[in-house]
Amino acid sequence: MPDVRIGVLSCSGEECLGGTVARLATRKVMEELREGTTVSLCLPLYVAGGEEERNFAKEHSVISVDGCSKSCARKATERFSGDVSDTIVISDILGEDVALGKTVSARDLTEEHYIMVDKVAEEICKKVDKIAAE
Amino acid sequence: MSKSYAVLPCNGLDKCAGCITKEVAINLTKESDSKIICPVLYRVADARYNKIAGENPVVVLDGCATRCASKLAIEKGIKISKKINITDEAKANNIVIGSGLVVGENELKLADIVTNELLKEEEQKKDVESVIFPESLEYEIYKKDKFVFRLPKGDFYFNENDCWVYVIGNKARIGVTDYVQKSLSDIMFFNEPALSSDIEQFEDAGSIESGKAVYEIICPVSGTITAINDKLLEAPELINKNPYEEGWIAEIELSDFESDKELLYTFDTYFDILKRKVDEFHV
Amino acid sequence: MSKIKVIACSGIGKAFGLMAREAVLKVTNELNPQEAETACLAHIITGDDEGKEKVADQICITVDGCPALCSAKSVESESGIVKAKFRVVDEMRNHRGAKAGTGTTLTEDGWKITDELAEKISAKITELVEEAKSNA
Repeated sequence: MPDVRIGVLSCSGEECLGGTVARLATRKVMEELREGTTVSLCLPLYVAGGEEERNFAKEHSVISVDGCSKSCARKATERFSGDVSDTIVISDILGEDVALGKTVSARDLTEEHYIMVDKVAEEICKKVDKIAAE
Repeated sequence: MSKSYAVLPCNGLDKCAGCITKEVAINLTKESDSKIICPVLYRVADARYNKIAGENPVVVLDGCATRCASKLAIEKGIKISKKINITDEAKANNIVIGSGLVVGENELKLADIVTNELLKEEEQKKDVESVIFPESLEYEIYKKDKFVFRLPKGDFYFNENDCWVYVIGNKARIGVTDYVQKSLSDIMFFNEPALSSDIEQFEDAGSIESGKAVYEIICPVSGTITAINDKLLEAPELINKNPYEEGWIAEIELSDFESDKELLYTFDTYFDILKRKVDEFHV
Repeated sequence: MSKIKVIACSGIGKAFGLMAREAVLKVTNELNPQEAETACLAHIITGDDEGKEKVADQICITVDGCPALCSAKSVESESGIVKAKFRVVDEMRNHRGAKAGTGTTLTEDGWKITDELAEKISAKITELVEEAKSNA
């Protein structure tokens, strides 16, 4: 496989569970499942003017991972770098009721939450593999 | 000619070393025209002391590594001519300081030693003015994933420990490269080398510390340390921001650059080394 | 008085971002749920009027992981009145040698430092609330 680098830009939405799951799933993909292929981009740094993040997004494919339909990560990419290659919206995968539920501290994560994270991480991997194969 | 200083002691009461700074300060006022800056009053009313600091070379006396007096001087924006750390002086002179706050025979002896060092008549040296280093530099860059590694072009040399030196005449400035600051991530502490100390090529010139590691700064050249980037004491993150410009570490008066140069890399050689290191390292 | 907005950077790359996030969650969920609330930083920037209204002309406290100060810069750019800027890296400087963890999980030290930071933020909130009462 060619040496591909795909950016994953996740929201970390503090206002809902979807944000927590988005963050954890993205980190899992970056650290374990697709280590070396994916590069996580820091959304707060991105919107605050981080040139490294924005330039990477201009030059590489980016998957946005959003907790809810507000799609902040996707909108930020489109605003500062260009179109995203693919998107994930947690509420589409887990259902709106779940995704918009109260946010959870890392101290209070349950088995159920980790199952959600795995499910979303798997979806991210599918999208990563699809882009890498192109 | 008797020296005359503006003396800023920490006067700390946490350790005996703080009490010794007071003794040194008092000695200096007795034996010269030096004036004391009271660290407590200076915090709340600085006009008079700023004037004194402007008119005399400032000597900062810290009791220990907390460096309260140095930090106060930096906060007030006064130029420090000399820094003394009593705990270091005690070690260097094999004097054991007591654990309490009573200033006894040993402590007074150390105070005298430090006082005499400060008042020692030296041959007149011409003022060591800081060299005017360029305010902005031109860089070659190497990218890995989203990370950008800069390397300045121009009169820079590098050592194998990823430190740089920029030379103008017989003066130099040193620092670390982007490879170091990115590897360390957020730098939280800067342990500066001793001002006015002599240093040999490849000796430690202080260290920088992040949550990941402590990094010894390996000096690329030999000479005498004439200036430290004091801003790094309060804001070591300047090294992360730009290790070649606002994040420089120290300035040195060179003793033998022609010999030192033989063991340093030019831009072209080091850029290849940098690229290889970056490729092998997961930032 | 409307609730004070406490906005974390939640930076994904470093443990400091996670610590900032967790400190804010502790403050808004446990320590000061009546006086403070949080908001998504990304939504404030990208959410058009709806997002901006969350902080515009509101009393805010920002909690950043590192000196990049993403939350402080972004909130100020959207006219938030930032009364205090906390940085996790400053707390780490008070715990030299401590290993905080990663952007995914914190160590025991990491949680301890996070909780200390939460207490400081809480104290600031209390101070701001008192100040507002005495100015009313």
